[in-house]
Amino acid sequence: MAQFNLYQEESQPTPWQRTWQEFRASHIAFTGFIVLGLFFFISVFGPLVAPYDPLQQNIDALLVPPSWEANGTISHLFGTDALGRDVFSRILAGCQVTFGSAILLVLIAMLIGVSIGTVAGMTSGVRSSVINHTLDALMAIPTLLIAIIIVAILGTGLVNSMWAITLALIPQFIHHTRSFVRTEMKKEYVLASKLDGANPQQLFFHSILPNMIEMLVVQGSLALSIAVIDISALGFLNLGAQPPLPELGVILADGLDVAYIAPWNVALPGLTIFLMVLAINVVGDGLRSALRKRLTH
Amino acid sequence: MQILIRYSTLFVLTLLVLAALSFALAYLFPGDVLVNLTGITPHNEIQREALIRQYQLDEPYLFQFLYYVQQLLQGNWGYSFISGLPLRDEIAVAMPATIELSTYALLTALFLGVPIGCYAGLKSYTKTDYTINSLSMVSYSFPVFWIALVFILIFSLELGIAPLSGRVSLLFDVPNVSGFVLIDILLADNIDSGLAFVDALHHLILPTASIALISTASMIRITRRSVIDVLKSPYIAAAESRGLSKRKIFFQHILRNALLPILPLMAIQITTLITNAMIVETLFSWPGIGNWLIQAIYQRDYPALRVGMLAVATVVISFTILIDLFNRLIDPSREKYERGAI
Repeated sequence: MAQFNLYQEESQPTPWQRTWQEFRASHIAFTGFIVLGLFFFISVFGPLVAPYDPLQQNIDALLVPPSWEANGTISHLFGTDALGRDVFSRILAGCQVTFGSAILLVLIAMLIGVSIGTVAGMTSGVRSSVINHTLDALMAIPTLLIAIIIVAILGTGLVNSMWAITLALIPQFIHHTRSFVRTEMKKEYVLASKLDGANPQQLFFHSILPNMIEMLVVQGSLALSIAVIDISALGFLNLGAQPPLPELGVILADGLDVAYIAPWNVALPGLTIFLMVLAINVVGDGLRSALRKRLTH
Repeated sequence: MQILIRYSTLFVLTLLVLAALSFALAYLFPGDVLVNLTGITPHNEIQREALIRQYQLDEPYLFQFLYYVQQLLQGNWGYSFISGLPLRDEIAVAMPATIELSTYALLTALFLGVPIGCYAGLKSYTKTDYTINSLSMVSYSFPVFWIALVFILIFSLELGIAPLSGRVSLLFDVPNVSGFVLIDILLADNIDSGLAFVDALHHLILPTASIALISTASMIRITRRSVIDVLKSPYIAAAESRGLSKRKIFFQHILRNALLPILPLMAIQITTLITNAMIVETLFSWPGIGNWLIQAIYQRDYPALRVGMLAVATVVISFTILIDLFNRLIDPSREKYERGAI
């Protein structure tokens, strides 16, 4: 008997492989992916690559212009700041602080949000409705406001600002997880598992979670871009990381004093934040359209 | 009707949660609870006793909270540490300034973003569309504080065509009536309204542009996505097969259906908008609530933070719930209100 085969090839691509193929077909998205990979590399190995210590001050080389300008030197690739610190090394270290803490806090927010969202999605009734709606409304509170409150209670610092942003990101994950779990619970494959006698825990880990990962990746990429912008914004406003710590927003705020005579101190850290956010957004957008294409084909 | 009741219950419940949070803040902030709650530093024990009795701080927490809510409703919001003025008056000046800035940015985003988004959606998957889409992605990724700085560096310092800070030149003495500077200028009678208006517009342009750049980009993306989704739907094919003109299809079928899902997405945009406005205010010394709150945190003005947080959260949540309610009323097919991604 002839075997019915959907594909010409022997091996059939898994959903993930198909998404990856669609993703790779878009040049812009793949470029963004490479840039994001570069940032990831920098944030892991940056300190090994950096030519100088990001905190080391050098009185002999104050405000040296970047190397592409006429009076710049190659020994300081991106020039130096008002204290003679090497901007290139500071930006490499800044990527590590900003990007690393953004990834960390998105993971924490995801973990907490998914757990609460699953519980909310699997239960029903008046109580869950009240909690859900109140959470939805609280989601509207700006991150900056939460950060200001947390800073007022606990004091400034990178960790405190991370808590604030985590708190602000959690409701979003709760919301998406909840509505996702709600719709999945109504589908037949979950019903089949239920009839097989799976308990809620097994239902979640074996049936729903594998289907949820794509949604989580997309939401995670959105949250990551918000997290990077918020961390650097808080650092810039002097509410997050404190000055000696090389965080991109803090470096930008440091450069503000000499912005007129040494514009690279403002331009380069800002450009780095911009590139980082752009890469994250491009990858997130590419992922979303790859998923959409996979589902429609 | 049922929807109205549900939304008003939701609104009141959320406000109560917020009020409870702001009450709890008086205990969570460092320092004396009495001072955090009232903003008045008692000079001696007798005055302190009297204040404690007046604010019912010797009662259980529940009664303290009830009294607190009662005071809030009566407009007695406490006093600022730093200026000693009633917080209500300070917020009444700062809040409209932020709302004004955000409104102009939102209007810019609507008037630019929706048409451009529609155009990109209609031309979907062509070179024009890719260009618009990429440009919107780029401007969506700008960190707002950096783009505001770049604007200041280029337009204020290099070219000198826009003023650096403030709302209106100090030469004009604009009395605060509505809190919106443009309206106040038109209402004022002792100054040259025309000159003052142009001056205020000059002050407005850079902060508005920095906020609007990001909001416009997300508006373009939302509109484009929604138009593309509508274009795929069967009723467009039906309209085409009936031989309707392109114009007619666009204005009667595409536009209406595409604009519906944009509303709930605008609700999340408001949060981003207000956050961006608050950050930009500090850069342009705009006398709004964001600048006011940041100054309050630098000076550790706890009573101001407590009430300011409540005021900002209330405004943002009111807008969000209103948009959601409006959305439910004009689009009953939407069962639960949805939030999507840009």
